[in-house]
Amino acid sequence: MTTTLPRATRGLDIDRRKVIVGGLLAGSVASFLSAIGMVETFDERMIIDPILSLGYAALVWIPVLFGYRVSQRVALEGMEAPRVGAGNVLAGALVGAIGGGMLGLFAVLVDAVNVRNVLLNVTPALVDLLSFHQPVAVGALLLVAVGAALGALGGVAHLFNPRVKSAIVSGVAWILLFSFTELVFGDIFDDLGMLSVDRLIYAADRGLTLGAALVIFGGAALGSLRFKGRASGAVARFQAMPEEKRRSRAFYFAAAVMLAGLLLPSVFGSYLNEVLATVGLFMLMGIGLNVVVGFAGLLDLGYVAFFAVGAYTTAVLTSPLSPNIAPEMAFFEALPFVLLMAALAGLVVGTPVIRMRGDYLAIVTLAFGEIARLLFQADWLKGTFGGAQGILRIGKGSIHTYFGYVVVASGVVALLVGFLRWREGRRLDRIGGPARLPGNSTPGLGITIMAGGLGAIVFGLLFPSFATWTVTGIDSEAVFRMVMVFVAIAAFVSWRLQDSRVGRAWMAMREDEQVAESMGINVVTAKLLAFVIGAMLASLGGALFAVKIGTIFPASFKIVQSIIILVIVIVGGMGSLRGVAIGALVLIGILGGPTQTGLLREFQEYKLLLYGVILVYMMLQRPEGLLPSARRSRELHQEEFLQDAWIKTQEGAAAVAEVAAEEAEEER
Amino acid sequence: MPLLEISGLAKQFGGLKALGGVDFTIDEGEIVSVIGPNGAGKTTFFNTISGMYPPDSGVILFEGEDIAGLTPDRIAKRGISRTYQNVRLFPNMTVLENVMVAQHCRTSRGVFSALFQTPAFLREEEEIRQRGKEVLGFFGTRLTGYRFDQPAFVLSYANRRRLEIARAMAAQPRLLLLDEPTAGMNPRETRELTGLIGKLRSERGFTVVVIEHDMRVVRDVSDRVVVLDHGVKIAEGTYEEVSSNDDVITAYLGRPAGEGSS
Repeated sequence: MTTTLPRATRGLDIDRRKVIVGGLLAGSVASFLSAIGMVETFDERMIIDPILSLGYAALVWIPVLFGYRVSQRVALEGMEAPRVGAGNVLAGALVGAIGGGMLGLFAVLVDAVNVRNVLLNVTPALVDLLSFHQPVAVGALLLVAVGAALGALGGVAHLFNPRVKSAIVSGVAWILLFSFTELVFGDIFDDLGMLSVDRLIYAADRGLTLGAALVIFGGAALGSLRFKGRASGAVARFQAMPEEKRRSRAFYFAAAVMLAGLLLPSVFGSYLNEVLATVGLFMLMGIGLNVVVGFAGLLDLGYVAFFAVGAYTTAVLTSPLSPNIAPEMAFFEALPFVLLMAALAGLVVGTPVIRMRGDYLAIVTLAFGEIARLLFQADWLKGTFGGAQGILRIGKGSIHTYFGYVVVASGVVALLVGFLRWREGRRLDRIGGPARLPGNSTPGLGITIMAGGLGAIVFGLLFPSFATWTVTGIDSEAVFRMVMVFVAIAAFVSWRLQDSRVGRAWMAMREDEQVAESMGINVVTAKLLAFVIGAMLASLGGALFAVKIGTIFPASFKIVQSIIILVIVIVGGMGSLRGVAIGALVLIGILGGPTQTGLLREFQEYKLLLYGVILVYMMLQRPEGLLPSARRSRELHQEEFLQDAWIKTQEGAAAVAEVAAEEAEEER
Repeated sequence: MPLLEISGLAKQFGGLKALGGVDFTIDEGEIVSVIGPNGAGKTTFFNTISGMYPPDSGVILFEGEDIAGLTPDRIAKRGISRTYQNVRLFPNMTVLENVMVAQHCRTSRGVFSALFQTPAFLREEEEIRQRGKEVLGFFGTRLTGYRFDQPAFVLSYANRRRLEIARAMAAQPRLLLLDEPTAGMNPRETRELTGLIGKLRSERGFTVVVIEHDMRVVRDVSDRVVVLDHGVKIAEGTYEEVSSNDDVITAYLGRPAGEGSS
């Protein structure tokens, strides 16, 4: 039997309320971005040389996006699927027109009334820019027209099929990527001796040439059409692999990334290396904070204190200019003391807050972060930490790495570990049966590790020049390599701990502290351990930061640092190592750290605004983060997971049958 | 020497006297039920034994040593382990992880062996895993197989109760405290669990104290029944003795009535 479904909307039927609200929102966002000076600042940067500057680009997306969203019709279950057609375009155009009109009105208003006392950035130049260098009245009308056209474009997008849509999006994304990374590519082409390619792609006064833009757009769009779905297919296949295979794949992938990280810096050019070193520093601290917040569930808002302890301990121990105590150690001699001090700091902060939870813990740790900064700044301790002037010439500008010795020593360790693994593998083989499980030792694994160790020893002895490899703070390439090594160590530590008795205890504590305690977990030790390990990882970051910059001031350790590290962890995905890595890459790499620039130098001034926008968006749309751990996404989507577990899997069906059988028996 | 010997246990919350000097003993291998009307202090009794609150006064001798006032993790390590009236699992951990984490106090490998995954560490992990699976096997196939890797929140209510008992067993205690293990179960599940409580002693050698409202369960499992009311022990004895005790009937029904089987 078929019934006529209630009709959703007719072709040209437009939801007037949605259009007006959408248009006003678009207009507000556009006026806001103009008023804070973003448009004018960005106008100096070209994206596609003669036609589009970053300033206009900052406005163009608004009517398109709002037009798209407002004209979108939601298909409701049980309703006839909404037809797409002229109605979408009209709605989009109206949204764009209202938005453009509002921005035009804004331009006319600020032209007539001088508001520069309040809004510094509203300059005549901005008005000129907004009205396309025409008289204001004409410009306002033009804005309405342009807005309508762009909004209509957003509406038209609904007429395309999804593949075409995503092809267009990826084309635009690649143009933006190439344009934003202009400096980086310039450096890389320079290093590779391919300056002619650089000239071909980028116009003389910055920005892509029109031809290059078209080629990039075409290439990306075609690529997207051709390869759409391949990536997610690969991910699905990876997830379908058995545990053992997945582990080894993940290991090889990590190894490849590490190798690339060690080799690529030589072609990256100094700017990219500088940015990546900053990314690495924040990744290191993100990994550390992830142990505290993600694993153990202790919301620490004063994490920067440990970063500061690491930096100051390094400074005092290595700098010849450190006021009272100046043993002038080498970086690696100082490192054990740095770790020790950080562990002590972890205990000092951790002990008083043992019995606190949630909000209270957050507030107290926030205070500890500030206390640490004020102590380093205090006149009282000026004799040790240099007060507000800080400490200069940290590490005398360079790090002797003893790289060759480290290689030989780790080779020896690997030989030993490999031997133990080999013996264990042999033992397990003899026992056989259930003991032989994925992740356990095999004789083959032992031999592989031993071979690696032998290789490292030979390498270290053959190239003695590595024994005295020295990194100077200004050599961003070498600094980046150093940072990578430390990130790898931190990632290794937190990865190994996650799947251990200690990691499970943290997990249980995060879930229900009281029950964890009555199941025999000593929460005092577990919490202190989380604090200490987190503190030690942060201090590694601090030590590297100090030598990299060469000078530290108390002002480098403000609360905003703690917050940004936390934002990295949250946006990336709490409790997930990959997530933290991605979070640091996206936030620090593109937008930059609190004082360091990222790839988008122009965003420097508006960074905190963007952090805020990203954080709000993520909390609303994807609270589990970009690459969440399985556990965390289950936790935040319990309902969906339950349904999936119940309906989709065979087990669910079996369970349904089981309950039905039970009920039947009950009735009898 | 009794396994657990409690004398004069008292606990007060503000003006409310939750426990007013309770004496209680249990010998190795006994199953004892604690019953009483709502608010009688049964759960507080468990909470003070397991260390969630320190008692105001009284002595709790476990294997001859006073454990009153120790922290819950110490008490768990000594060999007392419990379940909760309102099931408290670690909902986002898998079924297997729930029983693995309970073995925390019976294992010892720390940070360094975890970092280098020493053979001893791997061996211990394997033992923890195997013991976890073995304990889950106590409930037949209900918590095994594909269930191992399901998060605990997916489980049905009855399975959550079972998992909670399994988790308590995994801690390898000598004394198990079960707080209303059959609450919310249907009659069939209750019958099954009643049998299992008996097996906890006969097959696993646990000594069990059980808080229970279902009198059929109490009758079937317990060697001895202790009745609490307003924080005071009002009766103790076999099920038959207790169920015909006038004080008990008064406590439950509020007036002396002739024929009283609850």
